[in-house]
Amino acid sequence: MKRILTLGIAAALLITALPLFANGAGSGESSEEKPVNLTWLILEFWNPDTVIAAYQELHPNVTIEAEKVGWGDFFQQNQIRLMSGEGDPDIVSIDLPLVASYGARGWLEPLDDVISSEDKSRWIPAAVESGTYNGALLAAPQHTSTQLLFVNKDLLESKGITPPGTDDRLTWEEVLAAAQAVSEGDIRGFNWEQNTAIYQLQPLPVSLGGKCIGEDGLTVEGFINSPEWIEAFTFYKDVYNKYGVAPKGDTPAADLFASGKLAMFVGGPWNIRRFAAEALLFDWTVSRHPYFEQGEIVTPTGSWHFGVNAAGEDKKAAAEFVRWLTAGEGAGLWWSKDSYDMPAQIALLESFNTIEDFQKPPLSFMKVAAAEARVNPVPRPVTPGFLEYDQLLQAAFSDIRNGADPKKTLDTAAGRISSEMNKYR
Amino acid sequence: MNKDKIVPYTLIAPALLLLILYRFWPTVLGLHESLFTTSFAQGGKKIFIGPGNFIHLWNDPVFWSSVIATVLFNVIANPLQIFLAYILAALLNRKVKGINLFRGLFLIPVAISINVSSIIWKLMLDSGGLVNGILDRMGLAPQPFLLSVDQALWSVIWISSWIGVPFWSLFILAGFQSIPRQVYEAAAIDGVSSPQRTFRITLPLMKNSLAFVLIADTVANFLLFTPVLLLTGGGPELSTNVAMFEAYRRGMIYGDLGTASGIVMMLLCLIIIVVGLQSLLFREKK
Repeated sequence: MKRILTLGIAAALLITALPLFANGAGSGESSEEKPVNLTWLILEFWNPDTVIAAYQELHPNVTIEAEKVGWGDFFQQNQIRLMSGEGDPDIVSIDLPLVASYGARGWLEPLDDVISSEDKSRWIPAAVESGTYNGALLAAPQHTSTQLLFVNKDLLESKGITPPGTDDRLTWEEVLAAAQAVSEGDIRGFNWEQNTAIYQLQPLPVSLGGKCIGEDGLTVEGFINSPEWIEAFTFYKDVYNKYGVAPKGDTPAADLFASGKLAMFVGGPWNIRRFAAEALLFDWTVSRHPYFEQGEIVTPTGSWHFGVNAAGEDKKAAAEFVRWLTAGEGAGLWWSKDSYDMPAQIALLESFNTIEDFQKPPLSFMKVAAAEARVNPVPRPVTPGFLEYDQLLQAAFSDIRNGADPKKTLDTAAGRISSEMNKYR
Repeated sequence: MNKDKIVPYTLIAPALLLLILYRFWPTVLGLHESLFTTSFAQGGKKIFIGPGNFIHLWNDPVFWSSVIATVLFNVIANPLQIFLAYILAALLNRKVKGINLFRGLFLIPVAISINVSSIIWKLMLDSGGLVNGILDRMGLAPQPFLLSVDQALWSVIWISSWIGVPFWSLFILAGFQSIPRQVYEAAAIDGVSSPQRTFRITLPLMKNSLAFVLIADTVANFLLFTPVLLLTGGGPELSTNVAMFEAYRRGMIYGDLGTASGIVMMLLCLIIIVVGLQSLLFREKK
């Protein structure tokens, strides 16, 4: 009797314990269903609603909250929040040259466990390379970029100037002459879209043979204040001051162009779909990125990548979203619905040749952009101190634009950047 | 301990404790941080370098230019703000009809968040902003204000005074009102002239209020940060790059906490020296 009782108790214990074991064994599956909250810091002009809705439908347990930040504050906010180590945001939007900087600080989780080499083959190789730091993929490419000269044909023709065609490439000297001819009253001839950003202005000194940083990725003295740089930024200063063909105000160049008050600007291909949608009231075209008459042809490149915060709580879930967004079906959705940028996915770039709308102007200009992206693109300097480099140069360019002496200003900038680079040595 | 000392010490203990926790302890932490440097080449490791950050700063022209900008700002802004605050308080002390309405109106700049007022002023001083519109209507040339090396610091002084003058005038007004009316009445009977009344009665009796305003305003202006961040970002050509902003940029943006703490420590020494001199000036004569 006693034995039966013991067996009975043992059996009862076993039965009550079984669900526990079952739960334990199935924990791998059940974690899929555990609610996951992911935060994502994005630029204010991106619209993530479509991709978030699509992903949440595929993964009902995942909630993605996108927080929009303006361009001017984005880089500082991103950096301060990553530096805090609090794990927010989970999904990190990274402008290409900052990959090394964030990588050196250990802020980004390697993605190689989630993103296969087959996934990587879907992106243009240059973008994969630049998202890789110390042999690990830290940032998955979403966009690539190039720059084109946007031209108001009506304004140029009104002064008897033949506008350039989509495959023409003007020299800076020709751009300046045309800009001088059309500048009168409240109409200005030319501007750069990101007129104090190294991204946009780097082709000026590089076209003249200048270099942006030493081999070690840390030395700037003798590079950013070299004679080529001083010559390039004397031209830049003159465009705003001596010739007065460029507006000094803060109105974005693309807005001024769209309102017919700016004849030409160098800007990104994202403007093509914008201007097409706005149906501008004048005839416009794009042409290739300008260069100095005695210099080389160089174009800007690089764009946004997405990565995973190494301090985040649900790094695997975040990495899976990043994979879906950049290499999976999210990439096409993002590009067609949410962003006007050039995609870094080869299949999407190739689709430019088959999308019906892209076969006639103005949307056919996207094909010009895709072609220009392959013409001697010069990436921004690879340095762990890119944020310092970028921001201190931005202050210097802004001073030169307001009339400061280029040599003195670049000398000061070189000193300040050198001082900040010490911590990476 | 004497029994009648226990009660006062107990009463000030909570305040003292908070002061240690929120003022003294962070200073110690800052001093500690200023003796280290972060090496990202070694995976963000903190390395003890003793006075290294201070030696580095001593040889750094940008640091010195930020000290000069800070001192220049204070030499202009402090006397200006206190003088204007005194005049404003004297006006607000008048017994005229509707004085309470005026007192309320002058408090508006204090009540608006400094972030909001900085942004509004930035828009007003823009090349196409309200101020240039008024100048244009008056037939005057437009001014670059925040974009000019010669005008940016003055513009920041103007905006910080717009907020600071009414704020400090509150304390001075309280000082005015604490002077017993009988003193003035007695002086009037003795036939005291108006300047004599100001210099022999009002100012001496206001000494404590003025000393507080001078010291508090000096400290506030040495630590001024928000308007610079929102209006100029330290530019153009470093003309508004005050020390506090330079420390913020190096520490919070570029991750160089050692040098940033070094700047804050040097700034602290500077403030202690200046405030010490001011306290000597206002010391009670025995």
